[in-house]
Amino acid sequence: MGFVVTIGLLDSLNFTLALLLVTLGLVVIYGLMNVINMAHGEFFLLGAYCVVLMRNAGLSFWWALLLAPVVLALVGLAVEELVIRHVYRRFIDSILGTWGISLALKQVVIIVFGPTAQSIVSPIPGPVQILGVTYPAYRLFIMGFTILLAGATFLFFYRTYIGLAIRGVIANRAMAASLGINTRLFDRSTFAIGAALAGLAGAVMAPIMSVDPQMGVGFLIPAFLSILVGGTGTLLGALVGTAAISATTTIVSDAWTQVAAQVVVFTMAIVVIRLFPQGITGRRT
Amino acid sequence: MRWKSFRSALTAAIWVALSLASLILNEWSLTQLAQYMAYGIFAMGLAFIWGQAGILSFGQAIFFGIGGYCMGLVTLRQLPLLGDSTLVGLILALVMPSIAAYVLGRLLFQGRGLAGAYFAIVTLCAAVIVETLAQQWSFIGGFNGLLGIPPFLAPWRTEADAYLTPTEIYLLMLAASLLVFLVLSYITWSPVGTVLAAIRDNDLRTAFFGYDIVRYKVGAFVLSALVSGLAGALFVKQFGFAAPSLIGFGLSTEVLIWVAVGGRNVLLAAFLGALLVRSVEGVLSDRLGDYWLLALGMLFVVTVVLMPTGLFGRILMPPLPKRLRGES
Repeated sequence: MGFVVTIGLLDSLNFTLALLLVTLGLVVIYGLMNVINMAHGEFFLLGAYCVVLMRNAGLSFWWALLLAPVVLALVGLAVEELVIRHVYRRFIDSILGTWGISLALKQVVIIVFGPTAQSIVSPIPGPVQILGVTYPAYRLFIMGFTILLAGATFLFFYRTYIGLAIRGVIANRAMAASLGINTRLFDRSTFAIGAALAGLAGAVMAPIMSVDPQMGVGFLIPAFLSILVGGTGTLLGALVGTAAISATTTIVSDAWTQVAAQVVVFTMAIVVIRLFPQGITGRRT
Repeated sequence: MRWKSFRSALTAAIWVALSLASLILNEWSLTQLAQYMAYGIFAMGLAFIWGQAGILSFGQAIFFGIGGYCMGLVTLRQLPLLGDSTLVGLILALVMPSIAAYVLGRLLFQGRGLAGAYFAIVTLCAAVIVETLAQQWSFIGGFNGLLGIPPFLAPWRTEADAYLTPTEIYLLMLAASLLVFLVLSYITWSPVGTVLAAIRDNDLRTAFFGYDIVRYKVGAFVLSALVSGLAGALFVKQFGFAAPSLIGFGLSTEVLIWVAVGGRNVLLAAFLGALLVRSVEGVLSDRLGDYWLLALGMLFVVTVVLMPTGLFGRILMPPLPKRLRGES
C-alpha cells in the first residue's frame, strides 16, 4: 500500500512540476499584459519538437534543452511584435489572435514533421531505487530540473531588481510607467521569457510523452485552469493551482481512467472558478 | 444617408442573389451550399450572442451537437416513445439545447457571474467535457456517432422512397436561414436588443439602470443555443451522421473563425463568413492540403488584428433603429 502511495506521490509531483513550468510563463504574461495567450500550448509543442529536430540531426538530447528556450524566445518575440502588440487594449481580440497563432503553429508542425506521433528515447534510461520503490531515473531528473528552474524563476521575480520592476508593472502599470520603467520593454521581454519557459518545459517533457501535434492543447487547458483556480496575478496562486489540478488528475487517472480524470478535473475546476472567481488564494472583494 | 440605404439595399440584394442561385447553380453546388447554410445559421446564432450581447462562448458547438444528436436519435427511431417524424426531431432539437443553455447560463451568469476570459475558458472546458462524454456514451454511438440518419422526406410525393431533391433542400435551407436572420435582426432592433448592446458595452451601468442583466444574458444565451440547435438538426439531416466532432471543441472554435472573418457585429456578415470560409475550404483544401489550415489560421489572425469588424461587417451594417437615431 505504501508502495502505491509513494508512486502516486511521485507521479503527482512530477506532473505538478511540469505543469508549473508551463503555467509560470502563462501567469506572468496574463498578469503583466492581461493577454490570454492561447498559443502557449503550441510554444510547449514547439519545445518538444526541438528535441525531435535534434534527434533527426543526430545530436544529443541535451542540446535540445539549450536550443528550445532560445528558439521559443525568438518565436515569442516575433509573435509579440507582429500580433500581440496590436491587440493589447482589445481583450477579446487578444484571445482570438493568439488562438489563430496557435492554429497556424500547429499546422506548421504538421507540415514539417507530419501528423503522426514521434517517440523520443529517454536520455537517462533505466530505473533507480528511491524511497523503497523503483522509479524511472529520467523522471527524477525532470523533477530536479523543474524544481531548480521554478526556484530560479521565483528568485528572479522576488529577489532581483528586474523582477521587482516587473511585479511593479503588474501591480500598477500607469504608476510604474510614470516612475520611468519602460513597460514596453518589459512586455516584450516577459513574453519572450514566458515562451522560452514553455519551450523548455516541452523539451524536458518530450521523452516521457508521445510527441504529436495535438499535445499542446492538452497542456494549455490545465495550465489555464491552474491559473484561474489558484488565482490570477500572483505566482503563489499559480503554484497552488497547479498542485490542485495535477494532484487531482493523477489520483483520478490512477484510480479510474484518464478520460474520467479529464472530466472530473474540468468539472471541478469550473465549480471552483464559479465559486471563487478570485481563485483559492485570491482576496475576497 | 445614401450610404445607409446602400447597405440596406446590399443586404436585400444578397438574399435575392442567394434565391436566384437555386436557378443557376448545378445540383452538386446547391447541395454543398445548402450544407454550408447550416453552418451559416450556426454562425448567426454565435454572432447574435457575441456581437450583440458581448458574450464570447468557446463552447457553442455543444448546442449544435445536441440539436444534431436529438434529430438523429428521433429519426433513427432510437427514442421509440417519440416516433420518428422529422417534426418531433426538430422540436426536440430546439428544446434540448435551450434547456442545456438555460441551465449552463444560470450557473455561469447568476450573481456575480463570469465574464470575459473566465467565461471563455469555462465554456471551452465544457465543450471538451461534453465531447469526451459523447465519445463514451454508447447509446448515442460512442466514437462512431449515429450513422445512416435518413434525409428529409417529401411526404407529398407518391413514390415509396421519396426524399427532397437538392433544389428543394436548398430552398428549405434558404428559407430557414432567412427566417433566423429576420427573427434575430428583429430582436437586435427591438428594445431588448438595445439592452443587450448596453450590457455588452457596460454591464455594471446597465444593472444600475435597473435592468436584470442576468435574465437578459441567459435569455440571449438560450436564444443563440436554440438557433445553434436548429442548425445542428438541419445539418445532420443533410449529412446523414452525427459524430462527437459535431459537439466539441473543434467545431466550437471553427465557428468562431467564421464569425470573426465575416464580421461579428452583423448577422448577415457572420452568415456570409461561414459560407465563404467553407466554400473556399471546399475549393482549396484539396489543392493546398495541409497548407490550407495554415492559411486559414493566418487569415484569422490578420482579420482579428487589422479588421475587427470582419470582411463584411462594415458594408452590411444595418441602420440603427429609428428611436436611437438623432434628430437629423
